Amino acid sequence: MMADLLGYLRNCLQTRKLAVLAILVSGGIVLQILACALYNNWWPMLSVIIYVLLPMPLMFLAGSDGYSLLSESDNGWVTATKFLTGASAIGSIAVPAILKHAGVIGWGALVMELSSYFIFLLAILVYIRMNDDGDDYNFF
Amino acid sequence: MELSELWAIFGPGVAGAVFGAGWWFWVDAVVCSSVNVPFLHYLPGIFATIAALMFNCVRREDIDYTPYDDGEWRLKLWLFFAYVVSFVSLAASVGLLIQDSIVKSGPSVWTGTAGVLQCVFVLISGLIYWTSHPE
Repeated sequence: MMADLLGYLRNCLQTRKLAVLAILVSGGIVLQILACALYNNWWPMLSVIIYVLLPMPLMFLAGSDGYSLLSESDNGWVTATKFLTGASAIGSIAVPAILKHAGVIGWGALVMELSSYFIFLLAILVYIRMNDDGDDYNFF
Repeated sequence: MELSELWAIFGPGVAGAVFGAGWWFWVDAVVCSSVNVPFLHYLPGIFATIAALMFNCVRREDIDYTPYDDGEWRLKLWLFFAYVVSFVSLAASVGLLIQDSIVKSGPSVWTGTAGVLQCVFVLISGLIYWTSHPE
């Protein structure tokens, strides 16, 4: 019965992490769209292109192993993937900053854009934590 | 996790981020410039990127450090050219910055500053990638 209880608690924790992940991702999307809709200025959607570009190197070049990004690897393609992912990550911060500098969007839109980006980043970290924890339990 | 492991894992990503930052500074300068930026001003950044590419083509273990043998002189010549191109592009960007600050009718000081930052970041990114990519 104790084992059942532990299993139930474990499942509950996993579900809670999934719920947190869902809230974070939807919050990020909401902030991104609000940044455009509140000011009736759809320029910030340009950074959505960079968000789409960000996982592409990982999907196409690193194969099915998503965790090769977090480990040392001899494969030249994996280092190129890390390079491109880093460049796209900076691009997502740079595009709103350039739009603000050029005067195309205002301070409020910039703050919402950047916070949407950091929420997405947090969501990715939670996802990685979640998968790591899942693997550790399964090894028992 | 020790520093060299961390460097090998995150180094290429950091290099990508720094490279991106360098070029995005230049994009910002061109977009926010009130005058048309002549093509001459694009050249230091382009040559810095070429130099970073050039010295990343050399694998670290291939370099023989004994000074008296014939050694891999072609490799060293290639590296020499890469260094020359990188320093010339850096010097040219600084020169263009000075010209931008003196000549009022041309591009603004921010354009020149962004050019220098672009060169510096691109070269640093090339260095980081070179030191961190595992063999």
